[in-house]
Amino acid sequence: MEVLDTRLKFFLSGITLSVIVLISGLYLCQIYQGDKYIRLAHNNRLRMIRFPAPRGEIFDRNGVPLAVNDTTFCIMGYPLDLNTPEKLSHLSKVLMRHGIPFTVSDLEKTIKQQRLAPYRVMKIVPNLTMTQMAELIADYEFPHELFPLSVWRRTYPAGTTAANIIGYVGEISETELKARSEEGYNGGDLIGKSGIERSYEAELRGSPGQEALEVDARGRKVRTLDANPAIKGEDLRLTLDMGAQKLAVELLKNWKGAIVAMNVETGEILALASSPVYDNNPLSWGVSGREWNAIITDPERPMLNRAIAGVYPPASTFKAFMSIASLEENSITQSTMIACRGGLRFGSHLFKCWKHSGHGSLNVIGALQHSCDVFFYQTGLRTGIEDLIKWGRKLHLGEPTGIDLPGESGGNIAGPEWKMRRFKSQWSGGDTVNYSIGQGYMLMTPIQIARVYAAIANGGKMVTPHLHAKGYRVPENIGLNPAKLEIVKRGLEAVVSRGTGSRAGRYGVQVAGKTGTAQNSHGDDHALFAGYAPAEAPKYVAVAVVEGGKHGSSVAGPMVGQMLAHLLTH
Amino acid sequence: MLLCAVTLALWGVFCIYSAAAGTEGRGFDYAIRQAAWLFVSIISMLLIMIVGHHKLLEGAYYLFGLSLLLLFLTLLAPKVKGAQSWLGFGGVRFQPSEFAKVAIILTMSKFFSRYPPLDFKTFIMGLGVIMIPVLLVLLQPDAGSAIVFLVISFGMLIAAGTPLKYLGSLVGLGLSAIPFMYFFLLKDYQRNRILVFIDPMRDPLGAGYNVIQSRIAVGSGGFSGKGFMMGTQSKLKFLPEPHTDFIFSVFSEEFGFVGVMILIALFTVLLFRVILAGIRSRERRCKILVAGVASWLWFQMFESIGMSIGFMPVTGLPLPFLSYGGSSLLSTFIALGLVASVYIEGGNSRHGF
Repeated sequence: MEVLDTRLKFFLSGITLSVIVLISGLYLCQIYQGDKYIRLAHNNRLRMIRFPAPRGEIFDRNGVPLAVNDTTFCIMGYPLDLNTPEKLSHLSKVLMRHGIPFTVSDLEKTIKQQRLAPYRVMKIVPNLTMTQMAELIADYEFPHELFPLSVWRRTYPAGTTAANIIGYVGEISETELKARSEEGYNGGDLIGKSGIERSYEAELRGSPGQEALEVDARGRKVRTLDANPAIKGEDLRLTLDMGAQKLAVELLKNWKGAIVAMNVETGEILALASSPVYDNNPLSWGVSGREWNAIITDPERPMLNRAIAGVYPPASTFKAFMSIASLEENSITQSTMIACRGGLRFGSHLFKCWKHSGHGSLNVIGALQHSCDVFFYQTGLRTGIEDLIKWGRKLHLGEPTGIDLPGESGGNIAGPEWKMRRFKSQWSGGDTVNYSIGQGYMLMTPIQIARVYAAIANGGKMVTPHLHAKGYRVPENIGLNPAKLEIVKRGLEAVVSRGTGSRAGRYGVQVAGKTGTAQNSHGDDHALFAGYAPAEAPKYVAVAVVEGGKHGSSVAGPMVGQMLAHLLTH
Repeated sequence: MLLCAVTLALWGVFCIYSAAAGTEGRGFDYAIRQAAWLFVSIISMLLIMIVGHHKLLEGAYYLFGLSLLLLFLTLLAPKVKGAQSWLGFGGVRFQPSEFAKVAIILTMSKFFSRYPPLDFKTFIMGLGVIMIPVLLVLLQPDAGSAIVFLVISFGMLIAAGTPLKYLGSLVGLGLSAIPFMYFFLLKDYQRNRILVFIDPMRDPLGAGYNVIQSRIAVGSGGFSGKGFMMGTQSKLKFLPEPHTDFIFSVFSEEFGFVGVMILIALFTVLLFRVILAGIRSRERRCKILVAGVASWLWFQMFESIGMSIGFMPVTGLPLPFLSYGGSSLLSTFIALGLVASVYIEGGNSRHGF
């Protein structure tokens, strides 16, 4: 025991000794050399300058620029070089002489906003052009303590035409900073706020450069101690075809709605238009609170990307899905004939066909061709809602397609469980009847409709829509019976060659597709058309949804026809 | 002793607030979380005091096994800043290596009092037991914790009355292994830290940056400091990791030499009380136990302060009580609970063996 106590007492002396070492070290550092370090901290001889990395640029599939960086200049300086009214009025005078309207009070305001410490560099005048900067530097009265810093500004040459795809950048917000604390962002950094700019932030961002400078007491650079150059972000070449995109935007010019065009085999997006449009340029440069409010409270909702986040009843375009589900479940065959007398009495309610005089007796091809409602009411009831939902899930209805854009909506597959959860009431046969013609609770986005039609066109593979090769996923084969699918395809060809969708076929290419007219309780009916071409060996699928367009056949059909014709002939 | 600890920890909460205030206004979040951890830690300490060190020493081997298991599980967890030191558990993340320190202290004090390392065989056995957790944390890789484990064990070996020739040869072995470790075991960044420890200016933007900026922070505190929340080095982000590894730099920048002296005085009193609790106790294992706790707190204090003035290489070890981190705070207070329990018993029971 004595040994142990001796040893413990040895600890006491050890601690005392180490504390003396620490105290002398701290004395040396804080008192003896304290002045030196105070001076170092105060003048901070070592100064770090962080250069934002130029962001990767974005191009369409043919190299048309969609997002680029323009170089502009800022005048930088230290507060201690501008601490008297004379210095300020002198600077203001020089600036005014070169046509840069910065009064003394403007300068005071910017300095006051950024002032943290006398040796913290700050931005005094932002956004100057190369010529303006050159003239200023050449002016012998320009205060030489101030220096230019080249910065880049994001501009979008395509502007409104592709704003819903490209998105925009903005200064990182406090919440984003918190969420990304491990990724090395600093306050004031730019970050993608929406669209491709946001989904490919990691690729576009690059890595900022840093320079360690030794400066004199006035903050002027004496020499560079070390420098890491900024590394530009990765350039992205999208699958988007600006020719097709321009056409889509043009077609939608006087309407609200969306047009999607996609490669049926790969899911490459060639056009993705949403109307009305907005301009992403001012958003990236920083808009005032009032302008921003005007955009987000606009009742037309230009910031809503209707192609991926607008949800609509698929209406009669849903009949292609109904045909697949019913044929696969064997509740009908190609030879099943159903008579339409203008409506179906179910329970106490009469469900009308759009053609009040009735279509007579039809098989599934004829029913698609003439868009007969009664035929699909019947097949829907024969198949039953459970099996319809089962097929809906197989085709991924009610879930996002996984396109490489933020803010996608999944639509709503509805069904008995959903209705019980949402309305606490039983799913009725009437609900199934409505469901069968794509009305009621079922909601889809234009991109979802395009994906289903792509699966019909490519023989049963669910593609993942994408705007950049990184978003490509191997299509999922859902195993549709080829013979049954062929029946549906013949029906869709008949729609355009001699049925309700004939106006989609007037542009020189063989289109197969389906019209749709969605009842809209708030105004005119929405017009829809989903189609692919060439009908015998499909390459592209296109979907148009026009809010308040009244009839799918007359408004949306020609849009899809023109899109497909453009893609196949250019 | 406990008063010193609580004072230090409360002071820590304020420092964290100040240190983290530079990082996008999150100082308040950090300070609140640390205060919550402090509350939990104090409650845990009181619980440990009620349960008493006897019971915990009885279960020491189980605790040791459990912490080895946790350390092993940590190796399977996702990486944070290049190391797998964290284990998520119902939304709360913690560092098993911190709790392993307590488990090591308990186990080794039990082991060394039953098998005093007086002959070569038991000495080697003891070393063997220690090497298991050391190797596990080295795999994370967390060299800092590995060194702390070794220092704790070494302190306990001293206290257990190990013959000086064994201790001497251990030191000799350690010293001769340094060149070998430097060239074969250390990662590039660790080697860099040692090089910049010798000359910070060889890489002022990279590894040397911390050392230079930290020294400027400490030095510019001067005699009386810049005042609470007035430190410029941390606020302007010159200092990296201001609320964890470099908390002492923030502290000394803001409170100056005077504050630092008070801080060191508090630590010294605390360490003295820990050792005195052991001297007062009649139990062999308790004496060894307090040596472990003292070595641990002493080493982390010495390293953390030494690092911020460039006396010691950068390791990223927290300063006990002050650095942000719930696991570290909690395990420190658990250890103090053990020491307090030893102290209380030493005062009122005269039997023992």
